[in-house]
Amino acid sequence: MSRLSKILAWLFIAFWALTALAPALITPGDPLAINPAQAFQAPGAGHVFGTDESGRDIYTRVIHGAGDSLFIGLAATAVGMGLAIVLGTLAAMAPRWLDGIILRVLEALYSIPSLLLALLIIAFTGPGVGPAIIAVGLSTAPGYARLVRSQIRTLKNSEMLEAATVLGRGTWLKVRNHLVPNALKPLLALVTLGVGQAVIWAAALSFLGLGTPPPAPEWGAMLSAGRTYLHLAWWMSLFPGLAIVVVAAGATLIGRALGGKARTI
Amino acid sequence: MQRNQRARRLLSSAAAFGIASIVLAGCSSSSGTGSAQDATPVSGGTLVYASGDAEPSCLDPHVGGNYPQALVASQYLESLFTKDSEGKIIPWLAESTEVSEDGLTRTITLREGITFTDGSELTAQAIKANIEHLQDPNTASSTGYLAVGKVDQVKVLDERTAELKLSAPDNALLESLSMPWTAIQSPAALERDQATNCAAPVGTGPFKVQSWEHQQAVNLVRNENYVPPVADPSRTQPTAYLDGITWRFIPEAATRYAALASGEVDVIDNAQPDTIASAAQGGTLGHLDAPRPGASNRLELNSSKAPFNDAKVREAFIRSVDVNAGITSLFFDTAKRSYSLLSSVEPLGISDEALFTADPAKANSLLDQAGWTERDADGYRAKDGKRLSVTFPVSTNQSVPAEQSLFEQFQASAKAVGFEVKIELLDLSSWYGALAEHDYDLVSAPYTKVGPSVLRILYHSDSTVPAPSGYFANNAQVKNPALDKLLTEAEQTDDEAQRAQLYAQAQKIVLEGYYVLPLYDQQNHFLYGAQVKGMGATTSVSSPIYTDVFLAK
Amino acid sequence: MGTLGWAARKLGGALVVLWLVATAIFIGIRLIPGDPAEAIMGGPGSQASAQALAAARAEFGLDQPAAVQYLMFLGKLARLDFGTSYALKRPVTDVMAEVLPKTIILALLALAAAWALALLFAALAMRANRFGAWLGGMVEIVAAAVPHFWLGAVLIMVFSSALGWLPAVDNGTAAGLVLPVLTLALPLAGFLTQLMRDSLATAMSSQFALAARARGESRLAVFWRHGLRHASLPALNLTGWAFSSLLSGAVVVEVIFARPGLGRSLLSAVLARDIPMVTGLALFSALVYILVMALTDAVQRAIDPAGAAS
Repeated sequence: MSRLSKILAWLFIAFWALTALAPALITPGDPLAINPAQAFQAPGAGHVFGTDESGRDIYTRVIHGAGDSLFIGLAATAVGMGLAIVLGTLAAMAPRWLDGIILRVLEALYSIPSLLLALLIIAFTGPGVGPAIIAVGLSTAPGYARLVRSQIRTLKNSEMLEAATVLGRGTWLKVRNHLVPNALKPLLALVTLGVGQAVIWAAALSFLGLGTPPPAPEWGAMLSAGRTYLHLAWWMSLFPGLAIVVVAAGATLIGRALGGKARTI
Repeated sequence: MQRNQRARRLLSSAAAFGIASIVLAGCSSSSGTGSAQDATPVSGGTLVYASGDAEPSCLDPHVGGNYPQALVASQYLESLFTKDSEGKIIPWLAESTEVSEDGLTRTITLREGITFTDGSELTAQAIKANIEHLQDPNTASSTGYLAVGKVDQVKVLDERTAELKLSAPDNALLESLSMPWTAIQSPAALERDQATNCAAPVGTGPFKVQSWEHQQAVNLVRNENYVPPVADPSRTQPTAYLDGITWRFIPEAATRYAALASGEVDVIDNAQPDTIASAAQGGTLGHLDAPRPGASNRLELNSSKAPFNDAKVREAFIRSVDVNAGITSLFFDTAKRSYSLLSSVEPLGISDEALFTADPAKANSLLDQAGWTERDADGYRAKDGKRLSVTFPVSTNQSVPAEQSLFEQFQASAKAVGFEVKIELLDLSSWYGALAEHDYDLVSAPYTKVGPSVLRILYHSDSTVPAPSGYFANNAQVKNPALDKLLTEAEQTDDEAQRAQLYAQAQKIVLEGYYVLPLYDQQNHFLYGAQVKGMGATTSVSSPIYTDVFLAK
Repeated sequence: MGTLGWAARKLGGALVVLWLVATAIFIGIRLIPGDPAEAIMGGPGSQASAQALAAARAEFGLDQPAAVQYLMFLGKLARLDFGTSYALKRPVTDVMAEVLPKTIILALLALAAAWALALLFAALAMRANRFGAWLGGMVEIVAAAVPHFWLGAVLIMVFSSALGWLPAVDNGTAAGLVLPVLTLALPLAGFLTQLMRDSLATAMSSQFALAARARGESRLAVFWRHGLRHASLPALNLTGWAFSSLLSGAVVVEVIFARPGLGRSLLSAVLARDIPMVTGLALFSALVYILVMALTDAVQRAIDPAGAAS
């Protein structure tokens, strides 16, 4: 990873972190403030990204929406990753029969495509932000878990662990101090890639009307509102869509720079 | 404003003028105004219709009974009565009708020479079979079931005459029998099991159901033996011009419009306000504006619990929101503001604009009077430490995007006077659930029915009592003995003038009690390509019928 | 391990997976608050009639102990009896027989298109200069990051509304398939190209490729004959995953392009809380995935028995 791309990557992360945590620093407006007289204004001097059907400023909403959208993406990845670490570690360390059971459970989760699994979960929980996070998280967990498992299994037999065993450390300590951190390192790249995909899937759920409800400026919800007016106000769809693409593509770039492969979340 | 293309000729030429102005009032482009006169009708071709509604699970509108069913069933089923351009009920499959002195016996005589598409003849037995079908719990009818609720018994007097015994006088019965939800089907077909009848109901209409490819299309073909109950002398052929209709379901509004614009489909329903406006500017697409009868689209304020159990708070909310600004920006003036409980097509509706003008200053002073004087950290009003907060479940199936946006604007402008409005977007089953649990302060629940008797369904205290399913229609929870009395009497009188006067008094009570905020008519907009001619005729519930429609070559 | 043993193991594994999915659904139904009969027939506040609820109670044995209910549930599934969709009032198997082929065809076409696009991209990248390679890399990454629902809307706006070249909705013709297939294929092609370029670079600088170049073969010929084969392998391994992601994308694409299919059926079943329908569709999509995985596995066994056995 070149020095320049490293700096750019950190700048990228810093920008979105700032946007998500303190959007008011970037744009002072109120993302919910309506002004019907100003509805459907094309991008221009007053409103760089135009306005929506209630005269709300799209730029302000995209910036304020970063918090909601990224939070869902990050939270879903955290849910998926947390579950993956537990299941993956357990599977790797457990006796063969338990490993077999966990693998089957993972395969069962994996066998239903992500969005279909999310829909399945929402069929039972009803729509909303919480269910969306859990649904996206669960659907990404098996991919991570398999990686955690194989990482730990490889490391389990490695020299480092042997050295630790020689030193007489207990099994739990071995897991905590060596296996998990070493298994996590390559996962970091994968997680970065995964956050991008999680943002897209969460937006897809909002787009289908099953995620964040309006008038919150979550990007998927904004797109969902904008698609109705595609013929009249393309800017309502373009800018939140671009925000998703930029975040997901940026996450991919950083993930690859960290050594991740464009694989399977 | 329906069947009028033909029915009007029975009336007078003066009436014909009135029809044209009502039916075509919404037509906004010159090339597509679509009256049959502007081109010579040609036979042939299959019209592709794209509906934005969810695909019905049953094509028999007796089962359940919602508007999407009425839209498609109007092509293959016909009713005993229909409505003329002036909102007057006229016989359709029926030839004549009379009612006994005490109002408890209604005799209906059918026309001769009408046959169902299964070849059987229309006889009085059909009236009996259909009403019994509606009242059979296994049919699970809701709309049609309520409409014939006062019919105790049907007796077949002879081949063409049936006698309906009523439990109480019902001057709305003919209106009820004009709706597609009580349309007449072949008794033999009704004998089949429900799944079979749902897939292809058999009626007397200008088309018949040929096949149903689920999720894709209902294929309708011309009924070659169609006999219009009321003949139209200007027509060269009595049957429909179209070979058939492909009835498709395209739920995405933008896709539906794109398909219309590129000529893939000929007619779309549930047209979005912005596309209606741009069609008007573009000039090639035709527009049919057919507001539904019955109730207007309105917000109901739940008066059974705090804070809307206080009339001052109800008025304050109504005064705090600016409906007109929202209608202008979101509906591009395709919807006309209503100040009435009833649709603009209901002749007995009364309006009172002064009650509903936006006035934030007055809203503030009303809330001060009502004791909501504290302000909490978020700027909302409070009383005894409790925030002035109202819950507003919104059905995403019933409120189009523009309406959902309008409600978001209400949320923002009500906040300015100190109301917290919590909008919950729900799918239909959760929405019904929230209503059944009384978990709402505000709600928008459209109700379509022909005639002012819809007022009894919506505002009589009996309608606050839930059905076994938990459903109740009186969402405003109006419980007023004087109002109940007016609504009952209005339905039983045999004097037209007295009926109008009783309904006017009843409406005044509801309007002045600030139980509802009228918005606009139940919107029902259709856009069609320039090749589509002859659009305009509708049933009594404003669902278009395509007998006169043809595709210009 | 013999082929028979392999097949038996696969079948056993598949049954266990399906059993786990079914069990999860059974538990899910129990977790919905309120009357489970109402939950099955449309969720809380369902408009189901008393008779329909009674029928559901009998059908699912809701008056029996939980263990009996569970066995009844599994027994029905084992007989491929998914019951009747309460929202559509039709047997779930009938609905699935209609929608499954449509979605599978869409996904297969999209898979083929994604491969074609990825190969084209990889070939182009071979001839590109540094800037071209960088640009290509960006295009891939952006393509992989584009949400289906956005891409589909943009394609309709450009090719259907503005240019009028292609139909926006499924009309039964091949032209009607172009936009939905493209919408699904483009993001996947972005992923595949990224993968192939990584391994392509390794393959082209391998001893083997260098030797071929030394023999005087052109760079492009080496690319086609050696590089691509090596580069494709890792991407081929992902076919199962790719197919699964296409089924996810199909939900959105079927909604936008008004196509009948598994995804659209599942979405409306979820909105209507139509549990029999949801159960059937979930189990069938799992079955489709298992079949595709087994197929990939079988192909790999045929090509490279040693590799597959390991």
